Amino acid sequence: MSMDIAFREISKSFGTTAALSNFDVTVHEGELVTLLGPSGCGKSTALRIAAGFESADSGDVLIGGTSVVALPPSKRGIGMVFQNYSLFPHLTVRENLEFGMRVRRVGRVQRSARVDELLQLVRLGGLADRYPHQVSGGQQQRVALARALAVQPRVLLLDEPLSALDATVRVEVRDEIRRIQRESGIATMLVTHDQEEALAISDRICVMRDGNAEQVGTPLAVYRFPSTPFVARFVGKVNDLEVELRSGTTLRLRGHAMEVGIPGTTLAPGDARLLIRPEDVRIVPARDPESVHGTIESLHFGGATTSVDIAITGTRQLVRVSDVTRAMDFDVGEEVGVRFDTDRALVTRLP
Amino acid sequence: MRFSRTVWWGVLTVAAVFYAVPMLAMARFAFQRIPVIKLAPDNILAKWTAEPLFETFGDPDFRRAALLTILLAVATAVVTSVLLVPTMVAAHLQSPRARKLIELSAVLPFVVPAIALVVGFAGAFRDTVPFLIRNPIGLVPLYVITALPFTHRTLENGLAALDLRTLVDASRGLGAGWARTMVLVVAPNMRASIATASFLAFTVVLGEFTIASLLLKNTLPLYLAYAQGQNPQGSFALGLVLVVVSTVFVTLSNRFGRKVAT
Repeated sequence: MSMDIAFREISKSFGTTAALSNFDVTVHEGELVTLLGPSGCGKSTALRIAAGFESADSGDVLIGGTSVVALPPSKRGIGMVFQNYSLFPHLTVRENLEFGMRVRRVGRVQRSARVDELLQLVRLGGLADRYPHQVSGGQQQRVALARALAVQPRVLLLDEPLSALDATVRVEVRDEIRRIQRESGIATMLVTHDQEEALAISDRICVMRDGNAEQVGTPLAVYRFPSTPFVARFVGKVNDLEVELRSGTTLRLRGHAMEVGIPGTTLAPGDARLLIRPEDVRIVPARDPESVHGTIESLHFGGATTSVDIAITGTRQLVRVSDVTRAMDFDVGEEVGVRFDTDRALVTRLP
Repeated sequence: MRFSRTVWWGVLTVAAVFYAVPMLAMARFAFQRIPVIKLAPDNILAKWTAEPLFETFGDPDFRRAALLTILLAVATAVVTSVLLVPTMVAAHLQSPRARKLIELSAVLPFVVPAIALVVGFAGAFRDTVPFLIRNPIGLVPLYVITALPFTHRTLENGLAALDLRTLVDASRGLGAGWARTMVLVVAPNMRASIATASFLAFTVVLGEFTIASLLLKNTLPLYLAYAQGQNPQGSFALGLVLVVVSTVFVTLSNRFGRKVAT
């Protein structure tokens, strides 16, 4: 039997606000699925329902194929890591790791062996006898991960485990979580509002909005082929431009006609929006007849991700362009042409 | 604004004199073998003795009263912890409204006079549970209520210093049920505030007079009042000892209280 976790049409409201409505997603064995969405989209509620800290109004949660909704958290076979530091402050690192086994009455020798194994897994061998306040935030979250794994849970639930950490530590712990998850092959559900984190760590991402799964897919699919404007806007940066949609697959931006080859163009003619990634926009010489005219508004040197903001002539619209190689060759105020590679762009009705 | 050194020392001296002079007078009256009208500044060091205190300690009535009071104090501290901690934890986790309600009722003993409490208590239980009126143990629930403003505040501070929700979720996620979560996780992390609340409850019982008097129970404060007529020196000696003991308890509770904050 495979150890997966599945939500089946879960609905949950708090008072009159619906946190989840018919939410449906499955995390397969060995897979890491991220629930990604803005705050209030229901992602944390979904995780807490899986853990048993909240109960759903309707629907089912299956772990390894059997329903767990009737079980208390202690009987579900879950391992959980929280956003806030959740180590027991009155216990040492070792005692924290032993907690779950102690509760399950695992013998002392076996306990101690397992703790050593876990400390090695998270590379914190020297810290066994420290108290939580004596180790760094990143180390605390690694201990919390080890503690969750100590009782060999069937599934791992991570509730924004990185959001309390500094940027550099965050990446470190993120990679550590991914490595350990891969090694242990445990079905893992991670909640985050950080799209960069989601893109980097996940096998699949479930983008959530207002209690629903908006799109579920690999990071590449979600980024490259967003199924809705919401996903396009939430995952990665996107240019959001007002355009005039003509018949067929033609749209106009400041009098400049463009062909777009995507399903969104079945929309009726009229005002619309063009959503296009910065890397799908190119800067060309101003005299290029195929281009839209603009003026360089600002340059953002970000090392590898240098980008340029261009104001489209005659509008107040800005286009962001990722131009790694030549960004610094431009000056603010310079007139340039902009070309759109619309193959992967998305066209949508206003707003 | 900053006080100058002189003003600071001046205020301190006035306060010290205000508190120390009655204490000193009490001590002299209690522990010097000199008739009270002959007590004067020049014989301040003469004829000191601990005998009045020993006389009191030897009194079987005192022993009974002291034993009863200590028993009541310990019982009050224990009942307070066992009842209040889980109740407050549950309120913190489940219902902010219940938390407000508890907070409000916890300050009521400040405004409801002891006599009202006793009349209500006696009226309710005289016919239904007469044991509570007859037996001195019946004082414990009343003392728990009387101490509530202090104990509740202390435990509330202890709880506020914890990320209770996360700790409880973590414990339950790791396989512990509610009871074990309370014993293994919540209680150890509230150790300091539970100790402080216990000391405060203990101190309240040590000084409570009205309720015990109205219910005719011979606790230490009642013995003290009664002994003033029989053995004035002894009762003053005892009073002084109680002041010292209470001070020690309050100091201890402060110590623990500070640990709560860190």
